[in-house]
Amino acid sequence: MKSAGPRAAAKSATTTATKTLRTLTASGITHLVGLPDSLSAPLFDAAVGHPVLRLITVTREGEAFAIATGLWIGGASPLVVVQNTGLLESGDAIRGTVLRIGAPIPILVTGRGYERMRAADVDPAQTPTPELLARVDVDSVAVLTERTLDAWGIAYRTCEGADDPVEAILDAIDGAREREQPLALVMARALE
Amino acid sequence: MLTMAQLLAPLHEHRTNEVVVTTMSAARPWGRLSSHALDFASVDSAMGHGADLALGIALARPERRVICLNGDGSMLMTLGTLATAVGARATNLIIVVCDNGRFETTGNQPVAGAGRVDYAAVARAAGFPSVHRFDDARAYAEALPGILRAAGPTLVHVVLKPGQEGPIIRGPAEDAPYLRTSLAESAEMLRAALRV
Repeated sequence: MKSAGPRAAAKSATTTATKTLRTLTASGITHLVGLPDSLSAPLFDAAVGHPVLRLITVTREGEAFAIATGLWIGGASPLVVVQNTGLLESGDAIRGTVLRIGAPIPILVTGRGYERMRAADVDPAQTPTPELLARVDVDSVAVLTERTLDAWGIAYRTCEGADDPVEAILDAIDGAREREQPLALVMARALE
Repeated sequence: MLTMAQLLAPLHEHRTNEVVVTTMSAARPWGRLSSHALDFASVDSAMGHGADLALGIALARPERRVICLNGDGSMLMTLGTLATAVGARATNLIIVVCDNGRFETTGNQPVAGAGRVDYAAVARAAGFPSVHRFDDARAYAEALPGILRAAGPTLVHVVLKPGQEGPIIRGPAEDAPYLRTSLAESAEMLRAALRV
């Protein structure tokens, strides 16, 4: 049996990204604000030149949360998309804008290091230690992602393995609106 | 060099229906001059992100100009915002960099590169089509009406004398009305003024 190969994988990713964009616009999302990584790149690629959804690419992730809060104040409905490394970089921006104002912004956090964490048999709920954070077989950002969201008081959901990423994103958008608070979705799998 | 009053008075005179986002040492003096429903103080918020908030509002409301009275220290924290504003084609965004070379609200410690950083040149290099630098009050006052009409994004670098504004603590003790409410309440009031 032939392997699907990189071209088929790219087509699949594009299809998922296209479905995601269709879902975003159908649910009233007006702006996609953030920085791409290898997991979210298909979404950013598909959003370039989109007729309805505006793509705002930032230079550093903290910007994304303040810009998204301004968009919400102005009546728009943004989705923030950042890698978990960028989430950690954004601490004061999140505290001082999204949380301080209570802007109901959905946040898609792509999860670098989750596969390695699983391969190393590390539980995301495990208390981080200096030894764990320095292990060569563990990407420390994955260890810290959910614990950081807990510490900041940001509700979150995770999307793993067999979960449908498009449904998970839609649930996160609905959840943020229902709670009238920011809500994060940790995408611990590829978007293909 | 201008005083803060020489910066703000002409802006107050010519301001019509623009949203004005203030930060740091400009926040209290602007609130003493203006009690417009479209004023918003990015105070008790996130360090350096006032211009980002203003950019977000500008992108959501392209029919309306948004003016950010930013500190030089705040601008230095998020210089990348200049590239983002250009990339987002925020033609209705006006960033005023209040360059007093100091962290005034913490006691006038010098900012990095105080007196040497040319914010107008940085903005021009980032792709801002409308860039201005003033160290003379009369020249600034004469140019301001045209600046407010120009297609942006616009950056106005104003060299200021350091003042004596101390720390701002939102609450009833502040004399500017827009500093007496919480940040969340202020955001809701601005949304209401924008009819969101």
